[in-house]
Amino acid sequence: MWEWWRKNRVVLLGLLLLLAALLWYSVSLRQQKETSFFETLLLEATGPVQSAFTSLVRSTADIWGSYINLVDTEQQNRRLREQNSLLKSELNQLKEISLENQRLRRLLEFKKTQPVKTLPARVIAEDATSWFRTVVIDKGYADQVHEGQPVVAAEGVVGRVIRNGPHESRVLLITDAASAVAALVQDSRSRGICRGQGRALSFDFVLRKEPLELGEAVITSGMGGVFPKGLLIGHVSSVNRMEFGLFQAVEIMPAVDFSRLEEVLVLLREVEP
Amino acid sequence: MNRVLVYLLLSGAAIVLQTAFLPHFLPYGFKPDLLLILVIYLGLHERTWRGATLVYALGWAYDVFAGSFPGLHGFVLLGIFLAVRATVSRVNAESSLLLMGLVLLGSLMQAVLTIFALEFFVEGSDFWPMIFWPLPLQVVLNVLAAFILLRAALWGQLRFMPRRRVPGLHKLDSRHGT
Repeated sequence: MWEWWRKNRVVLLGLLLLLAALLWYSVSLRQQKETSFFETLLLEATGPVQSAFTSLVRSTADIWGSYINLVDTEQQNRRLREQNSLLKSELNQLKEISLENQRLRRLLEFKKTQPVKTLPARVIAEDATSWFRTVVIDKGYADQVHEGQPVVAAEGVVGRVIRNGPHESRVLLITDAASAVAALVQDSRSRGICRGQGRALSFDFVLRKEPLELGEAVITSGMGGVFPKGLLIGHVSSVNRMEFGLFQAVEIMPAVDFSRLEEVLVLLREVEP
Repeated sequence: MNRVLVYLLLSGAAIVLQTAFLPHFLPYGFKPDLLLILVIYLGLHERTWRGATLVYALGWAYDVFAGSFPGLHGFVLLGIFLAVRATVSRVNAESSLLLMGLVLLGSLMQAVLTIFALEFFVEGSDFWPMIFWPLPLQVVLNVLAAFILLRAALWGQLRFMPRRRVPGLHKLDSRHGT
């Protein structure tokens, strides 16, 4: 027996360790609803680095874009080329400012339509893996951002805050498989649950007899307790009514382009005076 | 202790690259899992208990930046680390191809363990399609990243510290021992 234990000790202890890790994960799933000190510390420590990296990449991309634009210009006139480069760089910057201005204007107009207080935030990082859909924003509990608060963009619903540090928060996007939003079709008022599927959303529990058209807008129903009623989630992109069963299979294309998400609004709980 | 600090710095760099740098260049949210590559490297060259503790802690840190389930990556990465430890004593570790092969198998194992931990422990969600369908591309990205990192590490070592020995790196260089 002792010999057997000595021979298999490492394997058994390894399996025991793995089992302990699995049990701890299982316990954490049910207990840890709020951000822990460890998570706050890591978010706070990495936030400025992530923010700096994102700014650096965006400005480098601008400079690189300007350089690429210059490749085809005439080579004989160095002075003109430099001038051209400078102008192009400035033009690029102005274009970027103009685009940002447009985005912020849309966000401001959207903000005016919201009865609750809103807080603008910038996206500074994405999820570390390819399988989950979360982003990090540059506002935290020091700015009144708390777990569970909804996050939107001018185009529609983005997600909800799941973890927060003093100056950074993580947002679970509606396209993540762990996300579920109570929704309804704007015209027919058919109800269902929007679940994330990576790039698109599935609209579950819509009765088979409910009439649905491609392109119809799907909005939040306000039933889930997270999102206020009436925010645009997306549009119906495919409907599959099976021969049998209670429900139909509906796919929704989100209104927000998550690959180009830069500025968002956090809907704070307080009502605008 | 110094080595542990280097591992922590490397994992911090991997997380920053994955969250704030690579997403600007790769479409559809795809990114190589650099932390997985580090965990496999640890499996090849660290002692079991010290490595397991470090990997589990890294997994918990990873959860702060990935997904929404605390403890998930602790379990998944620990499983991969222990599997690599179990494998490495039975095969010839002196080959750069081994790292590629282990990254390939590690990526598959990561997907299997993640699907298991999510489907069996999280209620009401359907995660496997989000993991299963992009898996081939994820595996290719991880292997490619491992190859580039290996080449870069060997080049960096020869260029900047030719007299110093990076643990295990000389073994992984195909010019030594294969």
